Amino acid sequence: MGEDKVLLRVENLKMWHAMRRGLFGGVVYVRAVDGVTFSLAPGEAVSVVGESGSGKTTLGKTILRLHEPTDGKLIFKGRDITHTPEKELMWFKRETGLVQQDPYGAMPSFMTIYRILEEPLIIHKVGTKEERSEMIFKALEEVRLTPVEDFAFKYPHMLSGGQLQRVAIARALILKPSLVVADEPVSMLDASVRVEILTLMRELQEKRGISFIYITHDLSTTRYFSEWIFIMYAGHIVERARTKALLQNPLHPYTRALLAAIPDPDPENRKRFREVPPGEPPSLVNPPPGCRFAPRCPYATERCRREEPPEFEVEPDHFVKCWLYVGAR
Amino acid sequence: MSTALSVRNLRLYFSTRKGVVKAVDNASFDLRKGETLAIVGESGCGKSSLARALIRLLPRNVHTYSGEVLLDGVDVMKLSEEMFRRSVRWRKISMVFQGAQNSLNPVLKVGFQVAEPLMIHFGVSKEEALAEAKRYLRLVGIHESFADRYPFELSGGMKQRAVIAMALITHPEIVILDEPTSALDVITQANIINLLKRLQSEMGLSYIFITHDIALTSELADRVAVMYAGEIVEISDAEEFYRRPRHPYAEKLMASVPTLRTDKKLEFIPGTPPSLINPPPGCRFAPRCPYAFERCLRESPPPYEYKTGSFVRCWLYHEGKR
Ligand SMILES: Nc1ncnc2c1ncn2[C@@H]1O[C@H](COP(=O)(O)OP(=O)(O)OP(=O)(O)O)[C@@H](O)[C@H]1O
Ligand code: SF4
Ligand SMILES: [Mg+2]
Repeated sequence: MGEDKVLLRVENLKMWHAMRRGLFGGVVYVRAVDGVTFSLAPGEAVSVVGESGSGKTTLGKTILRLHEPTDGKLIFKGRDITHTPEKELMWFKRETGLVQQDPYGAMPSFMTIYRILEEPLIIHKVGTKEERSEMIFKALEEVRLTPVEDFAFKYPHMLSGGQLQRVAIARALILKPSLVVADEPVSMLDASVRVEILTLMRELQEKRGISFIYITHDLSTTRYFSEWIFIMYAGHIVERARTKALLQNPLHPYTRALLAAIPDPDPENRKRFREVPPGEPPSLVNPPPGCRFAPRCPYATERCRREEPPEFEVEPDHFVKCWLYVGAR
Repeated sequence: MSTALSVRNLRLYFSTRKGVVKAVDNASFDLRKGETLAIVGESGCGKSSLARALIRLLPRNVHTYSGEVLLDGVDVMKLSEEMFRRSVRWRKISMVFQGAQNSLNPVLKVGFQVAEPLMIHFGVSKEEALAEAKRYLRLVGIHESFADRYPFELSGGMKQRAVIAMALITHPEIVILDEPTSALDVITQANIINLLKRLQSEMGLSYIFITHDIALTSELADRVAVMYAGEIVEISDAEEFYRRPRHPYAEKLMASVPTLRTDKKLEFIPGTPPSLINPPPGCRFAPRCPYAFERCLRESPPPYEYKTGSFVRCWLYHEGKR
């Protein structure tokens, strides 16, 4: 990827949460994000797939500088924002948006939808009162909450989960950001509403040329909505590739296990058992020294248990963090 | 195959300040011995209410509770609460509740909690019950030393296994599984599904498997019932259902399911399900149905049995339009 085509560059990013252990115990660190590297081009959508506790939410929040990284680098539009103090980050906050998982929790219940959408405009001192009003109605229209007059003056609890997630999208987009992180934006919604919301997000993302990070535990939706997939396991990105390459040629044993675990609706499924590894992901306080998947991996060798594998680029744009591929290219 | 459970015109309505919520309306189906009947539908369509009606664990604000539930030829709806508790609940029908792994008591040891149903409902002594609990923990793939641990020491998958052990320890014939894996990650989910398959064949259990996840139903279902707005709108054999759902709602719902292995265009159903307080007078799906015609808006379609034991509630079939 040429440097001019990079919107966001993440280099060996680490975000460790400090946690006090017990009443008299010292501080331990939960290594939620533990050395993540990638670049994102303008207008591209990536899906970050991982199970709960794999560090995806922390990664998303750290990228948006809602956390200050423990180590590594965050470069946005060529500027290093890794440790920039909060008050000098206004420009960056204006360039970015967040859509969260629980729309009810993410919206102040005492504000009208209108007020919720006006808030970011006021904070960033955008427009006059009239101009703001115009922007808000336009935003509601764009997420198809019509007739807009009906929705603007409702309170969050009067809306369905799907409708409220549209408000969240409108809010994330109202400042015309160049990067949006959507953290499990549809996991609390029903199947059909999921597709409706994801389709809307994809449409707006493509129309406006926004870079998008779609965080999800649901691998099966990703291929419809992103050009890249990153697979996260225990604080690491263990595989990343273009969507099609990753799904057709999964390389990492964890990615393969994930694919093997997910059913398509098929009456044959009931007649067979699924071949999936037993066990659960490791603790992020004391992760295993080598590959973090080694304790569950059917192919693990001595080296896997001892040494952390680097990322190998097995095919162009197809990276995998696994010793099986040492010297593959 | 013989019938484990026969349900006819089951209704469960709740009284609320806004009116009567018709959570389960006229549900009829048979559950065959040793099979899995999946019940699938969107949030709020009445799946958990149906389960609660079957095992008769009802909230206080019940407005209507009626219909027939035949178990070994006996209509258990006619039994007194005392008789139902003594002869049906846990003994014949048991249940894994939605979110159960999170409602384990944090201050009681896991083994004790698994043993509890035996002590409470069967008057088994503590020692005996604890020994049995260890046996059941092993059966669901948990080392018996975990009997002496507290829930926080178990992973999500292990807690769910313990909850399954708890549902099985009373030797039921029928187990209702309400979203048994929805809080788990996909690999753990697959492990639990493998376990449920093994237990079913080893113990000859009949399952009622409730979930909102269509793809997941195909892991267990021999037959599928689709619920929409309090009604069962279709029951079909798995072989038919996943290839060709009959009801327009089932068809559209299937079209919204993303797949990993086949290419298909995803669709969604515009609009939202109706309120269960004032459902539309005709077919409840009519306001969203692309095929709706005049009659659909006026009259509620009765079940149309397109094959023995399989039916669809839709006027298209009654009128020979499909
Ligand atoms: N005790 C109650 N009093 C009043 N209404 C209730 C009660 N319990 C459930 N309901 C309502 O009955 C309807 C069916 O709810 P139910 O929990 O059975 O649905 P569900 O299909 O299990 O949903 P989910 O997929 O979210 O678990 C909903 O409208 C719900 O709000
Ligand atoms: S009865 Fe009419 S409205 Fe209902 S599903 Fe059938 S065609 Fe659609
Ligand atoms: Mg439920």
